[in-house]
Amino acid sequence: DATQHRSEELTQTPRHLLVCERSSFQDEKNRLSTQVEMLHFNYKVSVLLPECSSAPSQLDSVLNSFTSFYLIKNLPVHELLDQHFLQTAVFQGCVYALSYRTRIDEDNCVALMPNGRLLLSLDKDSFELLGFEGKPSRFNHRVKSRFVVSVDLTSSCMAPGGSGYLRLVSGLKSRLNLQMDFLLLHHPGGGASLQSLLSRYASSEHRPTISQCRLSDLSCPVLESCDPSDAHSLLEWLGAVDADISWDSSCDFVSTLVCPEPKMTLSSALRVSVCGFLTPQDIQRLISELRCYLEQSRLGSWVSLTVHGFVDSPVSWGANEHGVLKGGENLYTLLMHHDGTYHLHLATGAYDSCPP
Amino acid sequence: MSVFMDLNVPFTDNHELLQQLIQTAAHLGYSTVAINYMFEPSAKNKQVPVPADISQLIGPLPLVQGRSRPIRVLHRLTVVVSDPAHFVTRANAEEYRPFNLLAVQLTSEKLFHTACLQYDVDIISIPGTEKLPFFFKRAAINGAADRGVVFEVSYAAALRDSTRRRYTITNALSLMESCRGRGVILCSAAEQALELRGPYDVITLGVLFGLCDADSKDCVSSSCRSVLLHAETRRTANGIVSTRRREGAGPLGEAVSAKRAKVI
Amino acid sequence: MRNTDEKEETSVYRRVVLKNSSPYHYMRVCLVVDDQRIRPSVVELKNFIITGLRTLHGQAGAAINFDVLKYEEDSLTAILRIYSRGLVKLWSSLTLISSYENHNCAFRVNQVSPYLLALTGNSRDLQLD
Repeated sequence: DATQHRSEELTQTPRHLLVCERSSFQDEKNRLSTQVEMLHFNYKVSVLLPECSSAPSQLDSVLNSFTSFYLIKNLPVHELLDQHFLQTAVFQGCVYALSYRTRIDEDNCVALMPNGRLLLSLDKDSFELLGFEGKPSRFNHRVKSRFVVSVDLTSSCMAPGGSGYLRLVSGLKSRLNLQMDFLLLHHPGGGASLQSLLSRYASSEHRPTISQCRLSDLSCPVLESCDPSDAHSLLEWLGAVDADISWDSSCDFVSTLVCPEPKMTLSSALRVSVCGFLTPQDIQRLISELRCYLEQSRLGSWVSLTVHGFVDSPVSWGANEHGVLKGGENLYTLLMHHDGTYHLHLATGAYDSCPP
Repeated sequence: MSVFMDLNVPFTDNHELLQQLIQTAAHLGYSTVAINYMFEPSAKNKQVPVPADISQLIGPLPLVQGRSRPIRVLHRLTVVVSDPAHFVTRANAEEYRPFNLLAVQLTSEKLFHTACLQYDVDIISIPGTEKLPFFFKRAAINGAADRGVVFEVSYAAALRDSTRRRYTITNALSLMESCRGRGVILCSAAEQALELRGPYDVITLGVLFGLCDADSKDCVSSSCRSVLLHAETRRTANGIVSTRRREGAGPLGEAVSAKRAKVI
Repeated sequence: MRNTDEKEETSVYRRVVLKNSSPYHYMRVCLVVDDQRIRPSVVELKNFIITGLRTLHGQAGAAINFDVLKYEEDSLTAILRIYSRGLVKLWSSLTLISSYENHNCAFRVNQVSPYLLALTGNSRDLQLD
């Protein structure tokens, strides 16, 4: 009946998925590096080092060597198909490009993935103007209002001068005339590989911002037995540490948040984060460095690393289409133990596929 | 999925207040707002208002939150019809033409029924300030939906006191019951900046009104876009599509089937 | 609710997919009051929100448990935690709150997520110029 139906509606929340995986670096079949590499557009990585009061110098140098990225303003999208740009950047290494200040649930969004695939997530009007093949978005509701055009710039049918290539360029140039701000970087070439593009448009170079914070007397769950049913409380604990939420609430009325049991107290811990437009390669290097750090530290120690993908990216992992209903979570947390085992938690929101 | 819009921000002579409203709407993430002028033909000596030039009143338009484009401001006229003579004969009146959107608010079931099936308007406004003196009939609701006319539920009245909150919720619930979440837009009708709510908050209010998340999101985005297209069609030559040859279009441009450039 | 796909029978490897499993949702909110001198304490803030819940959803609404995990009195920003089942009720009542001690006010909900971690890593906050 109606009342029953209503009360159900009021207790429902948007869909969300959490994948909990346990594996070991010693296991040859572990897929960690693939999983890290598949999330192309990373906004922030934060690391928690228990029983550590200042970052070891090797870790510091990894953090400081994250690739610089560029903000390029009002870039006509057809420039990403420019022959010279394809030859000097896209076909030589990896280009990461993501439209900036565009929202995936409202605006046209564009991404160029490191494998040379260009994605245009367009509203219906823009899609019709472009006049190029695409598919309706998976997340359309009732009406087909968003379309995704996905082209592989490295494939033979998109070779410069070919008919597909010319059709897309002319659509972008003369019919749709799509322009937007972009975050852009090249691996491993850096700015040099992008020079021809950067010099012709208003652009600025940005360093990822690093912040460090030393925490003391931190209540911490004992991580021996990490059961997936506890995953949420562990993630909540990490989230609370990241958000500077204090554990000893003086007042039960205000908050009943407690540290998961069994717990212990860390005399000190270091929280480090890097924020900007980050490549999976840099995150891989950070993970390797953290493994070295763990191998040198005492028995039973661990570190955690959380990576947040861009909310408004048209893809999350791999080529999985990504969208926003009310929040566009695509993030993962890696908990590495001294003995080489790790727990990986991959999370997505309502408009996403299951993580790899 | 389209940009968020608030298609009912009441006009006020107080320029500072109007500026605050538009500023706040942009800050909350609305890409388009419609300044609403009320017109009650029943009042004595009342002329159809003339929309003001917004950029003259409030200066440069603020940027939409998180975007590099300014907010778009449209004009809307709402005619309060309490007698059949107030509207029908004037459907194509010259004084309605300066407005991007045309809405009506009805005071009786008979007028509501006629409006749904016949009035050449874009929006039928469901007030939150009073208990509706009639029930929604499915025939009327479907008739409006078939013609692309949408119903508007506004939430600002629900912020003012508990009685009006009850009216808003009751009216919205019974509307949603009849139209099943289709052809509805959610607007603010906010008279002060602090009465505006962000798009995702309004989506949650839609859930309170009986919609699912995705339907509710359409009410502040896609359905608003549809109503703008409906208005554009209504204002231009009654729906006749005019095409013109694009200048300088090369052979490739012509190879693709002609796509109509819609104004949005 | 849960399905385990055990691809490999190694001693360590295990994969579990949890759907809609988060017991809580987290909200980043900010209270805006037209008189900037007004600075409710954390207890006052919580009582204020409970009143809002009661006004819209009655006694059952007032009984919904939520936590104020963090509150900054200077900026009137807070992080709230609510059982997922209570999210819509809490959110809608925050939306309909409009006055605090006879002053006009509004709650601005900046972000909502089933993951607390997501609140500290929202790319929509990236400001480059």
